[in-house]
Amino acid sequence: MTDRPAIQFEEIEHKRLNFRLGPVTLDIPKGMITAIVGPNGSGKSTLFRMALGLVKPTKGHIALLGRQGDMGCDEQLKQRIGYLPESDSQLDDNWKAHDKAEFHSNWYDSWDANRYREMLRVFQINDEIALGKMSKGMRRKFEFTLAMAHNPELLLLDEPSSGLDPMAWKTMIDMLHRYMDQGERTVLMSTHIIEEVKRLADYIVFMVQGKVLGVYEKDELFRGWFTFYVSGEGLNGSRLSELPGLSGLEPAGGTTYRVTTSKALEAERWLEAEGLSIVSRSPLELDDIMGALMEQHGLGIRVNETRGMRP
Amino acid sequence: MLLPIQINEQSAEPLYHQIEVQLRALILSGQLEEGAMLPSIRELAQTLKCSVITVKRVYSDLEAEGLLRTRQGTGTFVAQVGAGERDRHRLASVLEAMEQAVAAGKRVQCSAEELQQLFEETLTKHYGGGGRAT
Repeated sequence: MTDRPAIQFEEIEHKRLNFRLGPVTLDIPKGMITAIVGPNGSGKSTLFRMALGLVKPTKGHIALLGRQGDMGCDEQLKQRIGYLPESDSQLDDNWKAHDKAEFHSNWYDSWDANRYREMLRVFQINDEIALGKMSKGMRRKFEFTLAMAHNPELLLLDEPSSGLDPMAWKTMIDMLHRYMDQGERTVLMSTHIIEEVKRLADYIVFMVQGKVLGVYEKDELFRGWFTFYVSGEGLNGSRLSELPGLSGLEPAGGTTYRVTTSKALEAERWLEAEGLSIVSRSPLELDDIMGALMEQHGLGIRVNETRGMRP
Repeated sequence: MLLPIQINEQSAEPLYHQIEVQLRALILSGQLEEGAMLPSIRELAQTLKCSVITVKRVYSDLEAEGLLRTRQGTGTFVAQVGAGERDRHRLASVLEAMEQAVAAGKRVQCSAEELQQLFEETLTKHYGGGGRAT
């Protein structure tokens, strides 16, 4: 087995009249679940579509499953990929779900009818219904099933859980874990749901305004970012400016300060060495981490307001 | 198999370390017997809501210590742990727990005397008598 990434984006740029994506250089590791998070309109869906050759980048190269994809994504390669787009197409609203599945199965040599049936059963989907008549959640579950029923080695899921009720959502999470447990498989997904990232992701990619702010291993990221209330005799702000990983500093009355750090363990040790005490502590949530990273990149809070981010 | 491992969300201690300490203790205390099969990497990551990178690291660290062995294509198992080794490891984990207890005390400005007293009290609670283990 080679350790080549499942997808490699190299210096990708994409320009439209009012939006510019990139330059993005990003490796999606094989055998892992990578979650892209970011406000609406930051270019996540475009990135997915470029990986599949549905959108051509203005500049740069993409390698997909070890193949230089400059010629686009050919039929053979598509056999190995499952894709769930952000919104379900309205063009096939008049189709019965069953007919769409049959059409779909003709395109995939590895279509697994048993797996398809099993997923319908677990999700409690009736595929005799016309797609346009399905509830939003039912439709989402069905499209998710279609994306997975040929056992692809790479799954691209663009906000897979939108519209799912909590039970269906749990089932989906479980299915993805079981899918990953069967060997060298890769998932690249985008999501707005913090809990989904916590339960699924191995790597987290932050994407804002067409730029990648960083790629992080999940546990390191969450262990790193903490808020501490710190106090000590005669403590002042300038003394705390040397705190490792410092990203936010606010007075909290008297000689107590509220500090945010991206290097919690180092910061703890530093505070101890300085003879300062931590009065209280709490880990940062994903949206707060993203906010802090955006500030570090000079992307400010205004972005949140204008793009309507949902925590 | 489910492992009784708990993660402290409030701690900045790296996750792999938290898990490693607990899994090691489960093996050395004999709660996990020789030959017991551990969950797959993805399974354990799912239960603990951590990344597979973390679990991989835990398994490979404990394998290097000789506590686990991996059979290609089958899974990860608890290895045979010699009595001498078990004893050495046994005390190492106690020592680490004590280090942590003392560090916790220092964080709230306990004096050495106070800690000593707390230690004696805990001993009495668990062993009875005048704080002397027999």
